[in-house]
Amino acid sequence: MSETQRYEIRIQGRLDARWSAWFDGMELVDDDGSTVIRGQVADQAALHGLIQKVRDLGLPLLSVTPTQTGPTP
Amino acid sequence: MTAARPLLQTKLFPPRTTRSLVDRDRLRQRIDTRDLPEVLVVSAPAGFGKSTLLAQSLLGGVSRAGPAVAWLSLDSGDSDPPTFWAYVLAALRTAAPDVGGSAQVLLDSPGGAPVTTVVTSLLNDFAESEKEVVLVLDDYHALHAPDIHEAMAFLVEHLPPQLHLVIATRSDPPLPLARLRARGQLAEVRAADLRFTGQETAAYFDRMGLQLSAREVATLEGRTEGWVAALQLAALSLQGRDDAAGFIDGFAGDDRHVVDYLVEEVVHRQPEEVRDFLLRTSLLTRLSGPLTDAVTGRTDGREMLARLDRDNLFLVPLDDQRRWYRYHHLFADMLHARLLDERPGEAPDLHRRASQWLERDGDTTGAIEHALAAGDADRAADLVELQIREMGKNRREVQLRRWMEALPEEVFANRPVLAIGHVGALMSTGETRGVEARLQIAERWDHAIKARGAGHPAPPGLLVADPTELGKLPGLIAVYRAGLALMVGDVEATMTYGHEAVGVLDAADHLGHGAATALMGIASWRGGDLATAEAAYIETMRRLELEGYVADVLGCAITLADLQTTQGRLRDAERTYRDALDLAARQGDGPLRGTPDMHVGLSALSSERGDLSAAEEHLRTAHELGDHLGMPRYPHRWRIAEARVREARGDLDGAVTLLDEAEQVYDGDFSPDVQPVAAMRARVWLRQQRTDLALGWSADRRLSVTDDLDYLREYEHVTLARVLLARGDVAVGGFLDRLLAAAEAGGRVGSVLEILVVRALAAQQAGDTERAESDTVRALELAEPEGYRRIFTDEGPVLATLLRRSAARGVAASYVSRMLGSEDSPPGGARATGGLVDPLSERELDVLRLLASELSGPEIARHLVVSLNTVRTHTKNVYAKLGVGSRRAAVRRADELGLLRR
Repeated sequence: MSETQRYEIRIQGRLDARWSAWFDGMELVDDDGSTVIRGQVADQAALHGLIQKVRDLGLPLLSVTPTQTGPTP
Repeated sequence: MTAARPLLQTKLFPPRTTRSLVDRDRLRQRIDTRDLPEVLVVSAPAGFGKSTLLAQSLLGGVSRAGPAVAWLSLDSGDSDPPTFWAYVLAALRTAAPDVGGSAQVLLDSPGGAPVTTVVTSLLNDFAESEKEVVLVLDDYHALHAPDIHEAMAFLVEHLPPQLHLVIATRSDPPLPLARLRARGQLAEVRAADLRFTGQETAAYFDRMGLQLSAREVATLEGRTEGWVAALQLAALSLQGRDDAAGFIDGFAGDDRHVVDYLVEEVVHRQPEEVRDFLLRTSLLTRLSGPLTDAVTGRTDGREMLARLDRDNLFLVPLDDQRRWYRYHHLFADMLHARLLDERPGEAPDLHRRASQWLERDGDTTGAIEHALAAGDADRAADLVELQIREMGKNRREVQLRRWMEALPEEVFANRPVLAIGHVGALMSTGETRGVEARLQIAERWDHAIKARGAGHPAPPGLLVADPTELGKLPGLIAVYRAGLALMVGDVEATMTYGHEAVGVLDAADHLGHGAATALMGIASWRGGDLATAEAAYIETMRRLELEGYVADVLGCAITLADLQTTQGRLRDAERTYRDALDLAARQGDGPLRGTPDMHVGLSALSSERGDLSAAEEHLRTAHELGDHLGMPRYPHRWRIAEARVREARGDLDGAVTLLDEAEQVYDGDFSPDVQPVAAMRARVWLRQQRTDLALGWSADRRLSVTDDLDYLREYEHVTLARVLLARGDVAVGGFLDRLLAAAEAGGRVGSVLEILVVRALAAQQAGDTERAESDTVRALELAEPEGYRRIFTDEGPVLATLLRRSAARGVAASYVSRMLGSEDSPPGGARATGGLVDPLSERELDVLRLLASELSGPEIARHLVVSLNTVRTHTKNVYAKLGVGSRRAAVRRADELGLLRR
């Protein structure tokens, strides 16, 4: 049983693709003045950890959206 | 007394405030040190100047005459309640050395004390101190332990006027802010307040020696939105630059994250050796010359830090000697992200080196955290394994569990000592999930070691950081197996594993033996084998005392005295309590948890012997020692003891109310509930002739005279017999015969006594005078040497007749005449009660007389040598008994009743 799920976290402002390593290898996509951080998240705790990283950089958070459930390993 | 854990003094160092670049008067006015709110929350993202503002407002200025400041910078390592509170106390001591001493003793006591006990003790100190203190908790968002937030909420709810709380955080703390806001006790400074205004921005660049046009300032302000860290970075980038205008235009035209962009600018302008130093040290939470040298492999750490400090490169000094620093958090994160991107292979190695240096320096927490960050699971596992004993001793199992849970699953398989340590951490924090799997790892290795025989080398694959711990494996496995069995109620298995543990534990392992015998003691108690349980408890207490766990000895004394009472040995029970108090008195002058509980126990014994004044005195003493020092069972036991006194004084309604309360605050603390509060209340209902209520209770409990007998239900069954008897059901004789036989077989003389009395009453009601008299005689013979009284005197005229008849035949004649002749302070007795239903106690009369004087509350407390809280309690009782709501009304009413004439 796995709670793995894909998420898209949208933040205001542009963050370089090189921030990917900081966000544990998530993909960073520039989208018209905002940035979408997207990828697999292990569980709710990991998602909150991710949001905390966004907070610690002072990035305005616009939305958090689950996309599709990941494959169960 | 040595500190139980090393504290980093750097965390208590407030930020320096010498470089005040912009006077933020508009904000400082909101933080008036002469009129601080109860709670101030400064909530804004990183780099908004929260700490600087607080340091300037609270510590800055030459003519500061505000409260003393206790500063604590938090980090994620403080999400462990004992660590957090140790730091809070240390911080408070820097501001008010006379506060928190008792709290520290409680925190450091072997086995630890509950957090509410520690916090209450701290609050009591403040309530009696004149000193005003402001406690600043910086970076509160780093805390993730619900236990800490809960205790902080308790602190906030009970904040004394002398203590102000200031919280700086990136996210709003999970505290009851709405309630504080509604009561006007909360002030807030938020991101919008902290942003630099256009005016402040202009003043700032001016002060930095940068000549910028109004348009340029406006551009910078618009792009940074007044974000302080961004403005500082912009100023750094602008210094020494020829084309300020070009830079500003480039910056304004770029849509990248503002701080990211600026850090890039600043870092790029640094020479290569500085750049390299910044990136490699970015993963350190604190920096010193030697530590940075160890991490970078260079030798210029000290000079580098001095240079960064001089160039104002976001370095925050953590002491006066400028030995320790940290980077500004936001700056560190930006650098760290660059390190991960530009030199992806390097970070693990840097973490490993940091871990090694910190281990040598004695910062185990830091060493473990860097080992985990390095992904070096084996190193982390070794370090954690070596901490198991110390962490257990300091009750830091929450932190231990967090480390264990951060380790990858596979490291446990070959590490039996780590696995059994995890079992201990789980079970002591009330978690059984995951215990079985870890126990099996430990058992598998234990078997493998035994199969090879003594003296042979360890089986291949075995990993252990401290080989001396391997020998303890069999004993620990047995103790935890016994604990697991008891948790699921398997008495037999508990005894089997317990005996096994005693057989294999090292003779000098007092805690191990104590745990094993305590588990067997509880199991025997539940099974009704009180003599075995008593012996086990005596052994447990001996072992705990040898290890210095005095509060736990007192906790066991409660159970031991209960066991002795049930066996009809009131004198032994009294000795148990008194010995425990002597032991506590020998520990020096620190507050000792459990002392109030001993007085509650003595109160119950005095009560049973009919000495109600002594019973009340003990309850008062318990209260004055401090309710917060009570063990988990204290709140309900105190109320039950008080209810027993009220009952004897004829206040049956009051007794029922207290029992209702006792039921709500009940905490069994792993002990079987052998005298349920509901059954006690049913007995009081019988005395009130509310037989229907009592019958309802027995129906709810599905009690029947045909039940199989079980010691755990004995008290309820005897109560059932009383209920049936009250209803006139004389057919309870057979049921009582069975109960008596069971109590006799179990050696429960206390129960035997009561059953005999009830059976005598039943026999008398059924007309069997002979049986009634013989039972009475037997009861008298058992009761007299121990000084029982209320077991007879609570029963009413029928039993009194039986007693007189026995006495007339020469059985315990003087005992009976003492019992029936004198009763302690019968209603309407000698004391001036002023016609009150519920007369005032001596102490309450003292308080009342002082209330009639001009003295203030604290002065009355000093006069009576008690705490202000005690005075408040007495005052509340006086008001309630006089039916008034104010001091003046109380004095008037007392005057009318003649209570003040003496």
